[in-house]
Amino acid sequence: MKFQFDSVQQMLEMAGHGQYVWTAVLVTLLMMAWLLVRPLQVHRAHLKTIAQQLRREQRRRITQEDNQ
Amino acid sequence: MSNIGFSAYLRRDLLLSYRRLGEAASPLIFFLLVSILIPLGVSPDPQRLAELAPGIIWVMALLATLLSTEGLFAADHQDGSLEQMLIAPQLLALPVLGKVTAHWLVTGLPLTLVSPLIGLMLSLPAVATVPMMASLALGTACLSLIGAVGAALTVSLRKGGLLLSILVIPLYIPVIIFGSAAVQTAVDGFNWLGPLSVLAAMLCAAIALCPWAIGGALRLVSSN
Amino acid sequence: MASNRDWTWFYRLGSPRWFYETTGRWLPWLWALTLVLLVAGLVWGLGYAPQDAKQGNSFRIIYLHVPVSFLALAGYYLMAIAGAIGLIWKMKLSYMVMKSAAPIGAVLTFLALFTGAVWGKPTWGTYWVWDARITSMLILLFLYLGVLALQYAFHSQEAGNKASAILALVGTVNIPIIYKSVDWWYTLHQPATIKLTSAPSMHIDMFQPLLVMIVALYSFYALALILFIRAEILQRERKAAWVCDLALRADQGSAGEDKE
Repeated sequence: MKFQFDSVQQMLEMAGHGQYVWTAVLVTLLMMAWLLVRPLQVHRAHLKTIAQQLRREQRRRITQEDNQ
Repeated sequence: MSNIGFSAYLRRDLLLSYRRLGEAASPLIFFLLVSILIPLGVSPDPQRLAELAPGIIWVMALLATLLSTEGLFAADHQDGSLEQMLIAPQLLALPVLGKVTAHWLVTGLPLTLVSPLIGLMLSLPAVATVPMMASLALGTACLSLIGAVGAALTVSLRKGGLLLSILVIPLYIPVIIFGSAAVQTAVDGFNWLGPLSVLAAMLCAAIALCPWAIGGALRLVSSN
Repeated sequence: MASNRDWTWFYRLGSPRWFYETTGRWLPWLWALTLVLLVAGLVWGLGYAPQDAKQGNSFRIIYLHVPVSFLALAGYYLMAIAGAIGLIWKMKLSYMVMKSAAPIGAVLTFLALFTGAVWGKPTWGTYWVWDARITSMLILLFLYLGVLALQYAFHSQEAGNKASAILALVGTVNIPIIYKSVDWWYTLHQPATIKLTSAPSMHIDMFQPLLVMIVALYSFYALALILFIRAEILQRERKAAWVCDLALRADQGSAGEDKE
């Protein structure tokens, strides 16, 4: 098994096919990355809103107790 | 008396569309009208039209059926008779099949009957007239059944029409492939019974399976 | 009693909390596995695999195209099976699996089409050919989009779940029919000028990296699916005590970081 290209330049060009191969690689990796990042973002956002909600309820309960 | 549900709903829906004749005729008018657009938009050259005719007629028939599918359960959902059908003790597949048959009788069948006229206007070769009518008759029945699944799924949505077309057009694809192929093979002078028998097989499968999917969809979705 | 106990795993599997906590323990390993396999497969396929005699270097796109197409199709079946389990056993978790599989499948189907088109340009001289496999893939994309659109059209989560499960099942019955008819349609209209070479028997040196990439994509799919499901679980179980605990702990953690 040997590396097929002699230089970085050659690997980028791939004998004229580089633009196609690298476009496919780039777009695929970007969209796959999005599929991993997106649920993580949603996950964090959910945790945040739930925590905010809980703290708001807690504060309301405390002020109610104070008023009494 | 298991077929009470079938014939009762068939008769009822036919009567309803007879009372609203204008509404029932609109898919047919749509079919005729859109077919006029093709010579105006593409070319009035008989040779080019003849080449496109099998595909055009089938696409138009598909769109016309789709257009009328949205209302299949909508009126019943609004006036509550759908609920009644769902709680009735009989097998749900039978009234459903009755309604779909009525739908085909007021859309697919008239389309089939006027299609020779459109074939004439689009200079479809005369040999293809019978295959066209046969394929439309079988194919539009398939389209009604498949479309009814989509109509049942979207019945409780206020703007279900556009969504319905997104859901069912991919499922329509085998029907249009074999439908237009039957006409095309007849035009080319080959035996057109092959594609037609595939259409017939699809119709059998659709009759066996679709009513269950429609019934399930109505039961599960319309209650929410 | 024994038969009862045998089924407990099944119900535990249906518990969102159990799923969340178990997959939480798997996640680091799955991340590592996915990244290692992806990097290894890509370097091997793009750098070390010999070039194709006819297609030259453009054939290297196969290392993305084939695994992505594989998972795009398998994902639809997974989605439909999850939907069926949800309909039959009314299992909450399996609806979440179904809902999460839809966007992943749609993106993968799009990628299969995209890489196929980019591959087509240097090989056939055109980005788009109405080839049977490409056309079927395009229809699959619309089937995915239909399920997604239906899921989000309903106000009630419950109705959306049931409706898209039914649609996914109807689609599953139809997929073989669609594929067969598109295949037949293609032989009918096959243009003489463009000959698509059916996959030639691959040299073993070319095949090994492909195998690595397929496994990598399976691992990636599992990872993405689990991440989507976990986000979905938090949203649907937001009233549950354990989720509240989790949220408060995460909140305190980030608050502490902010102070530093």
